[in-house]
Amino acid sequence: MTLPPRRTSCSSRTKPSTVANLAPIVPALRSPRLRRAGGNRRTGIAYVFLAPFLVLFGVFVLAPAVYGLWISLHNWNPLLPNQPFVGLDNYIQLFTPGSLTSGDFWESMSATGIFTVASVPLLLVVPLAVASLLNQKIKGGTVFRAIFFAPYVLGVAVIGVIWKYLLDPQVGVVNHVLGAFGLPDNTPWTVDVPWAWISLVGVTVWWTLGFNTVILLAGLKGISPELYDAASMDGAGVWKKFTNVTLPGLRPVMMFVTTVTILASANMFGQSYLLTKGGPGNQTRTAIMYIADQGLSQNQMGAASAMSYVLFAFLAVISVINFRLQREKSN
Amino acid sequence: MKKQSVRRGLAVAVALGASVALAACSSGSAAPQGAGVSGADYSGPAVTISFWNGWTGGAAPVLVPKLVDQFNKEHKNIVVKNNPLQWGDIAAKMPLAVKAGKGPDVAVAHGDDIATYAAQGLLLKGDDIVKSLGYQASDFPDGLMDAGNYGGTQYGIPWSVTPMGLYVNNDVLKAAGLDPANIPTDKDSYMKALAALKTAGVQGEWVDGYVFTGTFEFESLLWQFGGDLFNDGVTKATFNSDAGVQALTHMTDVIKAGYSPENVAQDGNINALVSSKTAFNWNGVWQTTNTALDKVDWAATAVPQIGTEKAVWSSSTHWMFMNNKGQDKNKTAAAATFVKWMNEHSSGWAETGELPANNKVRNDPALLEKYPNLKPFLDELPYAHYETSAPGISNAMATITTAVNEAVLGKKTPKEALDDAAAKADQLLKQNKAQYGG
Repeated sequence: MTLPPRRTSCSSRTKPSTVANLAPIVPALRSPRLRRAGGNRRTGIAYVFLAPFLVLFGVFVLAPAVYGLWISLHNWNPLLPNQPFVGLDNYIQLFTPGSLTSGDFWESMSATGIFTVASVPLLLVVPLAVASLLNQKIKGGTVFRAIFFAPYVLGVAVIGVIWKYLLDPQVGVVNHVLGAFGLPDNTPWTVDVPWAWISLVGVTVWWTLGFNTVILLAGLKGISPELYDAASMDGAGVWKKFTNVTLPGLRPVMMFVTTVTILASANMFGQSYLLTKGGPGNQTRTAIMYIADQGLSQNQMGAASAMSYVLFAFLAVISVINFRLQREKSN
Repeated sequence: MKKQSVRRGLAVAVALGASVALAACSSGSAAPQGAGVSGADYSGPAVTISFWNGWTGGAAPVLVPKLVDQFNKEHKNIVVKNNPLQWGDIAAKMPLAVKAGKGPDVAVAHGDDIATYAAQGLLLKGDDIVKSLGYQASDFPDGLMDAGNYGGTQYGIPWSVTPMGLYVNNDVLKAAGLDPANIPTDKDSYMKALAALKTAGVQGEWVDGYVFTGTFEFESLLWQFGGDLFNDGVTKATFNSDAGVQALTHMTDVIKAGYSPENVAQDGNINALVSSKTAFNWNGVWQTTNTALDKVDWAATAVPQIGTEKAVWSSSTHWMFMNNKGQDKNKTAAAATFVKWMNEHSSGWAETGELPANNKVRNDPALLEKYPNLKPFLDELPYAHYETSAPGISNAMATITTAVNEAVLGKKTPKEALDDAAAKADQLLKQNKAQYGG
């Protein structure tokens, strides 16, 4: 509908998917020739080639985003004939303690924060470890790669249903197996915190680690073997090689992976919606879930759009910080 | 039901006032009456009417086309086009479709949606249609007509009701040495049975904190203790009254006493009943069609009376006539004929796990001969309570589930949870009033 920027739309999909996001990691291809007189003409041609995408981007991303900003300045209930203009009231409400939306909104923002902080490190470290192992010359490496990637192919509805059964506190397989080993068999995996967070993060890592693994693996393959040889000759061990060759070599890829992982985690919706229903109370209701509920279920499009923009501002700041940090390191 | 008769009196007064006002001013956003319906049978020119419903699952996708075909055969001048959609899609598409004159002529909605549609001006006032079809409140279970009434105007004509009941696993009762012929009916016998089950190592009722079914159980108990969800004008939440606290405390006590596990997952209770892990489950009449229950020896009865009076939660569905831009009166009249015919032929609707609203159909002994499991649910209807009719009410209702969830999981005491939810609900009700008026 009309929730503004694409990143904060209520799509239940949290996987990074646009190839366009790869752009920042491709080093600027600026050949000296471009700076000469013919450069202007070439720039013009480039714009012509970019135009078709620009049109699509304008119509389907930019225009709705601006429209969303406009909506956020109104008491916008799409069911009613009149959408009264209220200025910044929707935003003010969000920052006024005790208002209709502020408590719930910030609770949902903190839920999103908890999930992001808990899931992003795991979604970087585990895939890096898996990719490093797969990068060894081992038998059946391709098979393992396929196995690790497999869950990523499934939709969130599928993994939600599967894990809801597996993690059911009373009749779930997980508790049953734990019980068989003499461990507690009544852990409320989907019902109470902190276990609900462990479930949500665990399921998400299981689900999406394949994507990050494959990207990092491609990055690893791109590091010249000669660098490793040179390092060996300088007497570097496995760990030194990892920290001095692998990590610097992966930096541009890592920046991409970090950025899309943070954005994907911050946009988590489906897992909470299906596994925990946002409970206990509303403690695992993420920002996107609350925005979707406000905008699409309760028809408070104005408030929902304002929330989307606040979330967007947070993500924009985080992305900028992330880019800055990575750039400084590489300089 | 004193309150209801007062409300009905008010309704008549307001309706009279409204019709006077209408006569004076026929333009504006006020919905016109669906007039021009004469008697039960439409006799005008041939029309095709469009019918939207959310019946996409269960037995309905087979049953409804059959009924519609039969109706079309019996009525030479009416063709009904059946258009099943997801309920959510209907709510999303209806406003624009109706305003563009492309909505259905007749549709079915849940009781708690009628007022929201009406407040948007999407519905024709149904008072005239009800009158010309000869319907009286007494043709339906007590209070059901009111569930389709908003602001003193009748917008919905009842189609089905779905009360809650107590599902019993007889195998579990027998194994625990209890007599399945002696199902508890009041608090005393219910708690005794739960205690006996606990002694036998069975947690007799699994209490959950989700809409299905913890919220429905809480509402039933709230009414049993003499409380209500909202005040009469639906401007204030009253579910945090003493009655509400007693109701929710009963649920948390069942958990505290160890009669229920803690942290029950959604649907955990019906699954436990099916797998013979528990003896009792408060659940809706729709579970009578749950084939998973075939595995066990089960029975359904009325919910036990825990509080001071008999009461049980029920939802309902209603017919509504759409106020399309340029709505053809003949089509509305034909739709009314269709509604009347459907209600008369609704006996087969029990197949879907819902009870036909029409008293005549429901009281026909043939219904129980075919669906004996429905008996306790029919018997409950005289004291059933239906969903609140107020525009946008679903947001305030959601706060109740949050409260039940928090209390059942021990995050808050029942009183704290209900007070917090009521404070939130009051804000939402205020917002609803500001936006939808009424």
